[in-house]
Amino acid sequence: MKRDLLLMTAPVRDSFDIPCHEIGPKAAHPAAAFVAGLHGDELNGTFILSRLADFLNGVEAGKHPGLKLLKKVLIIPAVNVLGINLRSRTWPFDKSDMNRMFPGNVSGETTQRIALAVLEATKKAEYRVDLHTSGVDFEELPQVRLYSPSDAQRATARHFGLPAIMERSISPVFTTTLMHAWQVWPGQSFLLRVGQGGTVQLGHCQQVFRGLVAFLGQTGILAGVSLAEGDEEISHFRQGSSKRLYAGKAGTFVSDCQVGRWVRTGQELGYIYDSFSGNVIEKVEAPANGLLTGIRRHPLLFEGDLLLRINPKS
Amino acid sequence: MTQTTETIFSLAMPYRETLDIRRTVYTGGNGPRVAVTAGIHGDELEGLYVCHRLAAWLDELQHSNPQHLLGQVELYPALNPLGLDTLTRSVPVFDSDLNRSFPGSQQGDLPKRLAAAVMTALDGASLVVDIHASNIYLREIPQVRINSEFSDLLVPLAEQANLDLIWIHGAATVLEATIAHSLNSRNVPCLVVEMGVGMRLTPDYCEQLTVGLLHLWQELGVLAPEVVLPPLTHHPLVADDSNVHYLNAQTSGLFVPATAHWTDLRRGELLGTIVSPFHGAVLSEVRSPVDGILFTLREYPLVYEGSLMARVMARKGGAR
Ligand SMILES: [Zn+2]
Repeated sequence: MKRDLLLMTAPVRDSFDIPCHEIGPKAAHPAAAFVAGLHGDELNGTFILSRLADFLNGVEAGKHPGLKLLKKVLIIPAVNVLGINLRSRTWPFDKSDMNRMFPGNVSGETTQRIALAVLEATKKAEYRVDLHTSGVDFEELPQVRLYSPSDAQRATARHFGLPAIMERSISPVFTTTLMHAWQVWPGQSFLLRVGQGGTVQLGHCQQVFRGLVAFLGQTGILAGVSLAEGDEEISHFRQGSSKRLYAGKAGTFVSDCQVGRWVRTGQELGYIYDSFSGNVIEKVEAPANGLLTGIRRHPLLFEGDLLLRINPKS
Repeated sequence: MTQTTETIFSLAMPYRETLDIRRTVYTGGNGPRVAVTAGIHGDELEGLYVCHRLAAWLDELQHSNPQHLLGQVELYPALNPLGLDTLTRSVPVFDSDLNRSFPGSQQGDLPKRLAAAVMTALDGASLVVDIHASNIYLREIPQVRINSEFSDLLVPLAEQANLDLIWIHGAATVLEATIAHSLNSRNVPCLVVEMGVGMRLTPDYCEQLTVGLLHLWQELGVLAPEVVLPPLTHHPLVADDSNVHYLNAQTSGLFVPATAHWTDLRRGELLGTIVSPFHGAVLSEVRSPVDGILFTLREYPLVYEGSLMARVMARKGGAR
């Protein structure tokens, strides 16, 4: 069922809403809440969640015999609705980052009011998942991000079946994020990072869609899910284990490497060309043995830009 | 007394060009070093003009009484040159707020490296004043914003800066990744000035602050005691989280102010209206919630439901 999280006026356009799906048995609070599109350019998450809503609505309609939704699920495919429509990462009117507006404020800025509505709808869920991509410049291997997690959270993170689980500490910049606002509530919170902004990457989306269904199965929210055939390898990386390579030179970066590959120290991963003369000015090599968990996709490099991230086997 | 312009940071861009951060340094004796930073947000220009006014004053001093500069003055008018040159508030391409990138790091992308270079350059200064010009939406009376964590040190300095308001913020609302917080945490006193409005110059405010900064520098021993300065003309009121009232739009439309900026208001007095270009009726009347003074006033007329239109400071006893 579609519900409006809140309805707001606009200066000259018609009023607009931030809609969500509520699917499954009636309950005061959802058992699981999924949020995407706080940033309007992060299309993988919005696509995945809209497809998940379609799938779960199908389960409710009896289209998938053997599957049964036992608890309520809440899905917000996009918070920054206007941003999606206008291809803007930020809230288009005042260019504010909607994931810096939490916990929100009922009488504050437009984006703080929206933030509050999102937090109110999701904070009492047992499991909360916020989907992001990297920016349009960088591609992330589909991964679960944990922020100073408990052991229980580490265990639950495996239910997504994604290739990497990465731990991070909370930086002071992130105290106004949805993830941070969730942390004070009982229950478990997860941030998924999936691919690159500005595009829908079908392979990544399918992998994460299957991951979310598996997660709902493992947590007892969706009954009848058959567990994955070949269990995929899941690597768990503790905080500080990432090896990052920054561009020593500016120029044009070209690479045909795919995220999710294991690479060896010194392996050639791409080239930096002088954008004017066309000379190769740097051969980019893997700085360590490990899993390629992220790589630069925009070819134009400023000196110092992040080229890639490798996580050694722990 | 010498004057030089030098590059403190340089970074290669994808196609041939480099990004340079430049500063102008006036060196006199071995007295204290002070600095002014501006243009960290590419849509804020008031601080650039203050730097120009200070440079003009120092040029004149160099001509007339060079021995009166006892210390060193550093002007950093354009910390975000790519943003300033392209009418962009954030750092272009990186789409990040430079004033959320501090203290930065040597490793990492442009905003982080730039921030780290600026931190290194400002290390050891006796006072840094970081000048902001609000944004394109709101007009601000010249004011200093201070984190309560550092108020004992900074309020006495701010009181001499010829400004109209000192606003002390609670520690909980502090943004830790700003240049000011990063400097103050490393024992480099930094005052944040907000004044005027984005993409415009307000010459009167700039003159007002210029006079205030010269007085501060004299107090700190950067300028000789015998330098005769224009008199201080403003003494600040003090605001904190308890007496500042925010007026956010109850509906969307065009905000039309009914009063001038920095005027006294009675509780319930009409401050402005919100109207629609489609209809003749007034959608919302904006009234002051308290007896007080209007220190923030919306400049950009279009509002969304929730947009900030004004801030009113309730008086804490006493007249202005
Ligand atoms: Zn600013």
